[in-house]
Formats: sequence, C-alpha cells, structure tokens
Amino acid sequence: MRAKISIFWVEFKKGFIEQNPLFKLLVGLCSALAVSTKVENGIFMGIAVIFVLVFSNAIIALIREKIPYDVRIPIFIVVIASFVTIVDLTLKAYFQPVYERLGVWIPLIVVNCIILARAEGFAYKNPVLGSIADGFGMGLGYTVVLLVMGVIRELLGTGKIVLFEKTIISLSHFNPPLIFIMFPGAFITFGCLMALLNRYEARKKG
Amino acid sequence: MIEKIRKLVVPLTIVCIVAALGLGFTYGVTRERISKQEKEKEAEACMEALPQVKTPRELKESKDLLNKAKKVISDSKVEIEKVFTSKKGIVFVLRSRGYGGMISLAIGISLIGEITGVSVISHNETPGLGANLENPKFRKQFIGKDKRSKLQLGKDIQALTGATFTSNGVVRGVKAALKIFDLIKGK
Repeated sequence: MRAKISIFWVEFKKGFIEQNPLFKLLVGLCSALAVSTKVENGIFMGIAVIFVLVFSNAIIALIREKIPYDVRIPIFIVVIASFVTIVDLTLKAYFQPVYERLGVWIPLIVVNCIILARAEGFAYKNPVLGSIADGFGMGLGYTVVLLVMGVIRELLGTGKIVLFEKTIISLSHFNPPLIFIMFPGAFITFGCLMALLNRYEARKKG
Repeated sequence: MIEKIRKLVVPLTIVCIVAALGLGFTYGVTRERISKQEKEKEAEACMEALPQVKTPRELKESKDLLNKAKKVISDSKVEIEKVFTSKKGIVFVLRSRGYGGMISLAIGISLIGEITGVSVISHNETPGLGANLENPKFRKQFIGKDKRSKLQLGKDIQALTGATFTSNGVVRGVKAALKIFDLIKGK
C-alpha cells in the first residue's frame, strides 16, 4: 500500500516543476497562451484539461496491452476526443457562460499536445495508478501556470482581477497596458516566468 | 495479411463503438438542457434588445418576414436567422462576421425605426478585447440610431479598444437590421 502511494506521489509531483508540461516539456502552449487572459478562464480550462488527462490516461493505461502498436494513435485520439466532447457538452449544458468564454479552446483540447504526449509517452507504457497520478499532476502543473499567468496578465492588462463576477483586487490610478491581455503579452509573460524558473533552478543546483 | 488487418481493425472498432456509446449517452443527458438554455438565452437577448417587451410571449416569430429579409439582405458577412415581431417593435436575430467567427446578435427596432437595443447571444471573440462587446457601454451607443445615422467607427460609434473587427461586425449587423426594417416596412 505504501509503495502504491509513493508511486502515486512520484508520478504526481513531477508535473509541477521538474517536468512541468508548459515550462519544461513545452507542450500545450497554444491554449495556455490564449486563455490565460483571465484567472477565471484558467480555473475552468485547468479543470477541463485535468479531467480529460486523468480519464484518457486511465483508460489508455487500462487497455494498453490490447492496443496494437500500429493503430495506437487513432485509438488515443478516439479516447481523448470522446472525453473532450463529454466536457464540451457538460460545460455547454451546465456552465453556459464559461463555455462561451473559453469558446473554441475546449474542443481544441483534443489536439492539445499535453494529452497526446502523456498518452503516448506515459500511459501506453505504465500501469493505471501511475498513469492517473501522472495525468493529475501534469494537469495541475498546467493549471498552476495558467493561474499564475492569468493573475499577471489580468492584473496588469485590465488593472483588476474579477473572479466569479466579484472584483478581488483592483489597482486604482493605474493605466493598464493593454498589451498584457493581447498576444504579445502572453509571450512576454510566459518568457519572463520561464526565465525566472530556470534561474531559480540553476541557483539551486549551484 | 488478413490476420494482420483483423488485429488492427478489431480493437479500433471496439474502442470506437464504446466511445460512440459514451458520447451518445452524454448527448442524450445534456441535449434537452442545452437546447433549453439556448432558447432561454435567445429570449433574454431579444427582451434586452427590445426593452419595452416584458415577457417572451409578446414576441412572435415570423417566418414570412424572415424570408423577405433573406431576400433583401445583400451583405455576405451577415446572416439573418430569425425575426420576431411584437406590438412594440421588431427584433432581428442575426449573425455577423467578427474576428473569431460569427457574432450572434439580437437587434431591436421600434416601430418608428429607431434601434432600441443590441444584445449579444453568443460570440467567439478574443477574451479581454473583442469579448468586451458584452460590455453594455459599447452596445448602448446604438440606441436611438436610425437609417439616417452614419454608423461609422470613430465618428458616431466609439470602437472597442483593440477590437476593430469585432466593432465592425456589430456595426454591420445593426446596419443590416436597419436596412431590412426599412425595406420590409416599405412594402
């Protein structure tokens, strides 16, 4: 039992820094740069990605021995696309406003490299429990970056942070540079964060 | 050869069938709610566009006017979807090309031909920029405009910051609605 927990923990925590999908593996950047204009978007996008990652990893790990090597990619895509469609329909039915805000990025989770990369690179070769942990950790790693970027971009770009229609922080007498919520702002924010993380790690190594 | 094909086809088929079942089930569960939500949203948008109307029952969908409107529309970037009539005015539900796809709008016009309101049913514009068209301040600018108004960005309409395409999409929709109203009324 303890061994199981430790496997779970090892696979789970690597997604945060060591193998963070966005900063280290550099996959799934498209959606991350696009939806990180608002903290709230990050929360829902993160949940959607975690859901799809955990379930697609679990299913693929479960049937991995039955998947012929030559058709593994089509099978991964079918599994992933099904979960994405489930998320898509559920959000549309129960969280209409969020669905509208995230728009095309929800269906595009299908082609998000993180998910296919984890299916191919991890779940296809590892048992179910580890794959669930891996999916969960990677998904959370992705979400954390979205949230950090969302806080920076929303605060600097609009001068305030609005969560669930409540203003959490508001900078008065501040003329927000619009560039932060536009595409260049995404690249600038992302680049700076990545540089900071690399510096921190280089220091730690000495 | 055949054995090899069988080995590939059977697992793939099984996965597809299971996936299809799962999706069918989800679709069945969510379908009703989705269509109900869409209808509610449309009714709400129409009432916002024509504030004199207090309940959805006052609005009557008119297929006859819709067909007429489709004939007179000349702008290929605007698609008219529904026309609602009431004693207080007309609401056009139409889609106009924005930046991230079509913007679905409800545009209310009073009996004397003035815009009573513009509301957004759905859109896919950039969050933080074009998505600001949800902001009432932008849409309120159209209230009171009629066929004699210029409706030009930078003149009588202040565009959304960093979202000229989106602003143009809304202006185009409003112009089309005014034009249709004028032509229909003339008959």
